[in-house]
Amino acid sequence: MTRISPDQSRWWRRWAGRAGSAVVVVWGAATVAFLAQLAQPGDRATAVLNLRTGQTQERSPDELAPINAEYGFDRSAPAQYLEYLTGLLRGDLGTSYQQHRPVWDVVSEQLPGTLALTGTTLMLAWVLMLAWVLLTAGRGRRIGGWGAAVDSVLASLPQYWLGVVLLLVFAFGLGWFPVVGGTGPVRIVLPALTLALPLAGFLAQSTRTEFERVLEQPFVLSARLRGSGDLAVRLRHVLRHAALAPLTLTGWALGATISGAVIVETVFARRGIGRTLVTAVESQDLPIVTGIVVLTAVAYVVINLVLDALYPLLDPRVTP
Amino acid sequence: MTTTTTRPEAPAAARPARAARPRPGVLFTGLAAVVLGVAAAAPWLLAPADPDAIDLAATLQPPSPTHWFGTDEIGRDLYTRVVHGAGQSLTIGVGAAAVALLLAVLLALAATLAPGPVATATDRVIDVLFAFPTLLLALLLVSVLGPAPQTLVVAVGVGVAPGYARMVRAQLLGARRSPYVEAATALGHRRTRIVARHVLPNALRPLVAVFALSVGQCVVWASSLSFLGLGVAPPASEWGALLEAGRAYVTVAGWLVVLPGLAIVALAVTATALGRALQSHLEPGE
Amino acid sequence: MLERLRAPAVPEDAIAVRPTPARLLLAGLTAALLSPVTACTTGPRVEPAALVAPAAASDTIVYGHQQEPPCVYGGWIEQGYLSGQILDNVVALDDDGRVVPWLAESWTVAPDGLTWTFRLRRGPTFSDGTPVDAAAVAANFEYWSTGGNSTVQAWIGGYFDAARALDDRTVAVRLSRPYPRFAENMTQPYFGLQSPRALATRSEEENCTAPIGSGPFVVERWNRGSDIQLVRRADYDWAPANAQHSGPAHVARVDWRFVADPTARTAALRSGELDAMYDVPAFEWAGLEAEGYALARYVTGGRPQQISFNTERGPFTDQRVRQAFALSLDRRGAVEAVGKGVIPYDGNGPVSRSTPAYDERAAARYGHDPTAAAALLDEAGWHPGPDGVRTRDGHPLEVVFPYAVNRTVNQDGVAIIQALQQQAGTVGFRVRLVPYPPSAAAAGAYSGPGDYDLMIGYWTAVNAGILHVNWRRDLPDAPNKANSAFYDDPALEDLILRANSEADPDRQAELYRSAQRYIADRALSIGVYDRLSTLAVKPGLRGVRQEQSQGGPIFHDAHFA
Repeated sequence: MTRISPDQSRWWRRWAGRAGSAVVVVWGAATVAFLAQLAQPGDRATAVLNLRTGQTQERSPDELAPINAEYGFDRSAPAQYLEYLTGLLRGDLGTSYQQHRPVWDVVSEQLPGTLALTGTTLMLAWVLMLAWVLLTAGRGRRIGGWGAAVDSVLASLPQYWLGVVLLLVFAFGLGWFPVVGGTGPVRIVLPALTLALPLAGFLAQSTRTEFERVLEQPFVLSARLRGSGDLAVRLRHVLRHAALAPLTLTGWALGATISGAVIVETVFARRGIGRTLVTAVESQDLPIVTGIVVLTAVAYVVINLVLDALYPLLDPRVTP
Repeated sequence: MTTTTTRPEAPAAARPARAARPRPGVLFTGLAAVVLGVAAAAPWLLAPADPDAIDLAATLQPPSPTHWFGTDEIGRDLYTRVVHGAGQSLTIGVGAAAVALLLAVLLALAATLAPGPVATATDRVIDVLFAFPTLLLALLLVSVLGPAPQTLVVAVGVGVAPGYARMVRAQLLGARRSPYVEAATALGHRRTRIVARHVLPNALRPLVAVFALSVGQCVVWASSLSFLGLGVAPPASEWGALLEAGRAYVTVAGWLVVLPGLAIVALAVTATALGRALQSHLEPGE
Repeated sequence: MLERLRAPAVPEDAIAVRPTPARLLLAGLTAALLSPVTACTTGPRVEPAALVAPAAASDTIVYGHQQEPPCVYGGWIEQGYLSGQILDNVVALDDDGRVVPWLAESWTVAPDGLTWTFRLRRGPTFSDGTPVDAAAVAANFEYWSTGGNSTVQAWIGGYFDAARALDDRTVAVRLSRPYPRFAENMTQPYFGLQSPRALATRSEEENCTAPIGSGPFVVERWNRGSDIQLVRRADYDWAPANAQHSGPAHVARVDWRFVADPTARTAALRSGELDAMYDVPAFEWAGLEAEGYALARYVTGGRPQQISFNTERGPFTDQRVRQAFALSLDRRGAVEAVGKGVIPYDGNGPVSRSTPAYDERAAARYGHDPTAAAALLDEAGWHPGPDGVRTRDGHPLEVVFPYAVNRTVNQDGVAIIQALQQQAGTVGFRVRLVPYPPSAAAAGAYSGPGDYDLMIGYWTAVNAGILHVNWRRDLPDAPNKANSAFYDDPALEDLILRANSEADPDRQAELYRSAQRYIADRALSIGVYDRLSTLAVKPGLRGVRQEQSQGGPIFHDAHFA
């Protein structure tokens, strides 16, 4: 038998608490999504029928009865909610009204494209941001001012506009990138750049403040006095501390790229979760909408748990 | 997007006395703010023509001395439309930012100052909402409420609110733990008085700057919804709607997309710069 | 990249088709590397060559389409375009508008006009092996009449009685009223036949994504949000009589891409990523033509893009106000300015110019005459108000005009609508535009009498029988939700019914024409522009046809030169 030390038990309690609130977040998101379903204007059975037939009409009760029975729309809201939740517990996200397929199948075949886009975007944003901040932060007022100005212009760029302009210049104009087709790395460049540029500006804003603060810290001065070169100081000492702020933001940004994916996948005609979501919202294919909401919430809590676990490793001041 | 540019804990040392002499950036921001203000309040001063007037004989004209920004697919003057759209874009941005901050403050107050269970529950509500990507929340709201300018205001406001709620909550917590509150508590002041006199003013003061910052973000989000076809009804010339309408003609009339987009960027940058300027004025210790 | 993991989704030879410079270089390199090997082999070793792309390059058509429907088969025109590749019909429509044999080699109508007997061709099979026999045709009629396809129901409802197999190859369809243009309507892709075994045994999902028909292509895979891969049936040999050849399709596969954005679609065609595209933007037309692309334009028959007036509630219950609105508009000017000579103006509300029995007089009924419009409004009691908007008894002349963006109206349509809004404003109408998203459209929003004053929309058809679909009365026991004017007039319905059942073509046409004039005289609906189905095909690709009932592309005869 091993005895659990107070430290360990505190650790366990902390993580149990975190896992608990993670579950609450997912449950809450699922509930909000369900309520949004109920709040949709118009009759759901009508929407299902119109979707299947490509019409935009009112429907008679006779036409609607079988649909209501099939999807259980005729039952009370609490009963529907209960069934929805038990379905989620079994891992069943429901069935698409339009495609007659499990939502999980629909989503999972769209996931790789969005993940690739998100991953590339994050990498690109970090690289651009670091290079820019290392180059311009703490270089005197003129350069620093320009650096900061570029940060805020980048952070203010609307993604869809940037996307269209990039397409206009590099795909339609110069023909360097494919418009709709293309496979592999080439086709991801413009979409990822569209998301990465504003994100880089956004991350740079907080990194820069932190970077300039750390540059003036005593330990940096002492490192310089010990004869470390400028770049070495910046990379080894300053960056390590300054990177914490944008790292926490990255957790949020990862979740938020789904917003970006909605835009970028629409502009660039890419497959993915974002475009599936827009189509589903447009066509009132609510099981898909709620499925994506729940999965986003799951991804969000998982990312945050991982970041929570990583944080102590990066910042010695925080105890695990 | 949430903003983390408000960092109350950042020591003043990080920012050596700024704001002493007017710099080119400040001048530019001021000028842009004045132009935007005039366009929003009295567009006819800058562009006297009717923004909805059509001219079927002059469609898709490139920018020229007669049409500074060119014309659109039914011959409307784009410059006039952009100027007259400023008010609408700005109203939506300001309205959404107001909704966002109001909601954020209410949630944060409940999460920090309400009795235990309510605070915990509100905390979770903030977490749940934060787990929703902004655009997803906004899309759901638009599909429930139907597209209209008011809907845009509410949808964008609610969409960005959770991020601000987190920030305000952190500030309230920070203010509550600050030395002066501890001192006041030690002196035996009543809780409500401490909250009203010390916690709220200190925690909420930076919000003035955050508000300016968020106007820029809200304009961008609102125009994103317009871009997805969920915006205001034509012939309104809200900038996002202008962009959306111009996209179909982008290969033959790029100005229809590029110029309204630049207007949005200019507005967002100006709002951010204003917010930052306010921030350095308002933050304690500067 | 994770993208690569999905590589099998796009077959290698499909990728090879688009000759971007990089890919040409790659193909060239591969060819150079492989050439010693191929030089050594004496026999016709095809396999390596097939891998090296150029040979396979002419085997796949990459086609860019606009909208992605939820299922391959259904009652929506976008589904008709797709299912037309996979399902065959009993009869087809040729370029001159004549009904020609397809799965049926001949047919007869009984003297009473009630029984249609189709004699089927020997040999066709569905792709699951089920024979295309009389029982299969009867089973499909049974399927349609019980809700299998809403558009088929709109056509045969009120006419269809029963279908029965007389023997293996003979099927008799019994109608309740004569309908001389019955076979003509059966040429629409909604009447495509599916394997009765597939309908009975497969899941709804399977029949949605990959219905089993007897057509020249079958669905290999649907990559949702991106494309549908269609592969040729090697044993196909029953093309319609108007096809250029009867055997299997010339190309091995069709990569049917969904590219919603017209700008991206056009750019992709120009860059060689697409071999053919659907729905060419009007302002790109002249440029593409000059660059050597083959352009095809099909004016969809049936109801054109028209504006119906709400005759049940609001200011347009007054005929004079409807006529004033029509006269206030320069519809031709708006359509021509936006349409750049590609989108045809059509003043006829009930049917489009490509529909047999089109009436020119109905089309020309209302020109642009603001003075006459103002006089009519004065007469109707609507007088000029302070802000330019007319009023009556203190009420402004405000009318609500919703439209389903990107569903029934595209970008060009939205521009035209805004021009009309301005024109109507000059005589004192305040037109409130309400663009509503597809979600609202799906939920049946803006479809009731309380929801709008003006409604724009089209309804594709082969003949003026569309009048029955759109103008049949909306009655409690026989609702007609397609009657967007909510017009309830037994006289008009009777006129249309007589036309539908009239056996003599000339007399029938005259009846249809008078129905159009009846509608135009009362200003129940005014035409705006004709709905188009357009194709742009790159120079090397030949034989892409447009199907003649709905205008979709047909790839069976297509081949690379």
